[in-house]
Amino acid sequence: MNPEPVIIAFCCNWCSYSAADLAGISRMQYPGSIRIVRVMCSGMVHPEMVLHALNKGAEGVMVIGCPLGECHYINGNEMALARSEVIADTLEDLGYERERFQVAWLSSAEPERLVEAFREMSGRLAALRAPVPTKAAAGE
Amino acid sequence: MRPRLSFEWLHACSGCEISLLNSGEGLLGLLERVEIVHFPLLMDHKYRHRADGAGEIDLPEAEIGLVSGGVASEEHLAVLQAMRKSCTTLIGFGTCATHGGIPALRNQRPVADALQTVFAGADGQGAIPAAMAGQLDRVYSIDEQVKVDVSLPGCPPRPETIVEVIQALLDRDSLQPSEKSVCETCPTMRAGKGQATVRRFLANAEYDPGEPIDKMRCLLEQGLVCMGPVTAGGCGGKSAPLCIRARVPCRGCYGPVRPGGNQLLDMLNALASNGMHHRDLVDRPSLLRFSGAHGLLRPVRRRN
Repeated sequence: MNPEPVIIAFCCNWCSYSAADLAGISRMQYPGSIRIVRVMCSGMVHPEMVLHALNKGAEGVMVIGCPLGECHYINGNEMALARSEVIADTLEDLGYERERFQVAWLSSAEPERLVEAFREMSGRLAALRAPVPTKAAAGE
Repeated sequence: MRPRLSFEWLHACSGCEISLLNSGEGLLGLLERVEIVHFPLLMDHKYRHRADGAGEIDLPEAEIGLVSGGVASEEHLAVLQAMRKSCTTLIGFGTCATHGGIPALRNQRPVADALQTVFAGADGQGAIPAAMAGQLDRVYSIDEQVKVDVSLPGCPPRPETIVEVIQALLDRDSLQPSEKSVCETCPTMRAGKGQATVRRFLANAEYDPGEPIDKMRCLLEQGLVCMGPVTAGGCGGKSAPLCIRARVPCRGCYGPVRPGGNQLLDMLNALASNGMHHRDLVDRPSLLRFSGAHGLLRPVRRRN
């Protein structure tokens, strides 16, 4: 198993992908197991794409778009927000923990928030992976 | 020699076979062209040569095999594999065979839980029948287990379509799977945005019984959960979809429009992107009531 949880991050072209670019130029450190997929808008990420990523073995999926109200396509990220509720609600029906999905909204000038979101997601997934302590291990 | 047809049923209700028998004059034309060599619902046939019932399952050779029902037990699996071996072309017959169907609703819980709930009664006393031994870990569609040449979904498939598909195979015509959704074949009136709330399932549609269906407002826009947008069409042939004809919303029995689609996710997505409140839906997993195989319906992981 990969030492770090593989995360697919759908980043929109206008804000979060630029933020990732800037994070790279600024040499900010974040977990290397994050795979960024550039999309034109977070609103084009269909729930099937999220589910497909999980079904194919990704441990977590993130959708990262522009700050709400500042979408390059007027309201694409609001569409993404509506869809994200559907995804979060549905994941448990489909047998996944809802922690495996995360949305975030940030501008192209906020690479530190992007890196923070990546780190937080990675940490959360690592915790999901940790073996559940049994009664015996808890020390009776 | 006439082409031979072989029928088999697994985790099924016989509705698909009855639909075939219900195809009227088309059936008579078909029967003149083929020979049915194996049809457990209609004809007597022994599966094994040995008297004690042991040994390999032995099915007669056939050019076309039709299998209805999903795969839930080791016995189903053995029969399905024997069908695959004995038939040149294998048709997945009905939604249970192609997408899991109603029996695959069981996939929401572990097998042991399902058996306990169904057979042991509310008080937990009582035995699980010996015949229920050898259950697989979940209900599979047949294309998860063997190669399937033609998928013919529907609960049941439209009688005329069954005959057309078999005729097309006999004539070596190419089969063109429909990629239309139920909505694309539905004549109801669409007025753009509908209600923002989802009404209770028990609520009736608003319509004038004297007027034809194309004068009725789209049921989804009336706030009824109609699965038309995410369900493969074809149930009504060239006219309106069957359930819409009865003025009730589509239940999704033809399975997803595209192979590999997820009706639950697509339906909620359709609701959300049109500004409807998907949280008004009480029982979300039941949107996968016809397509729970392919690993779509799974037991919810327990939190510790």
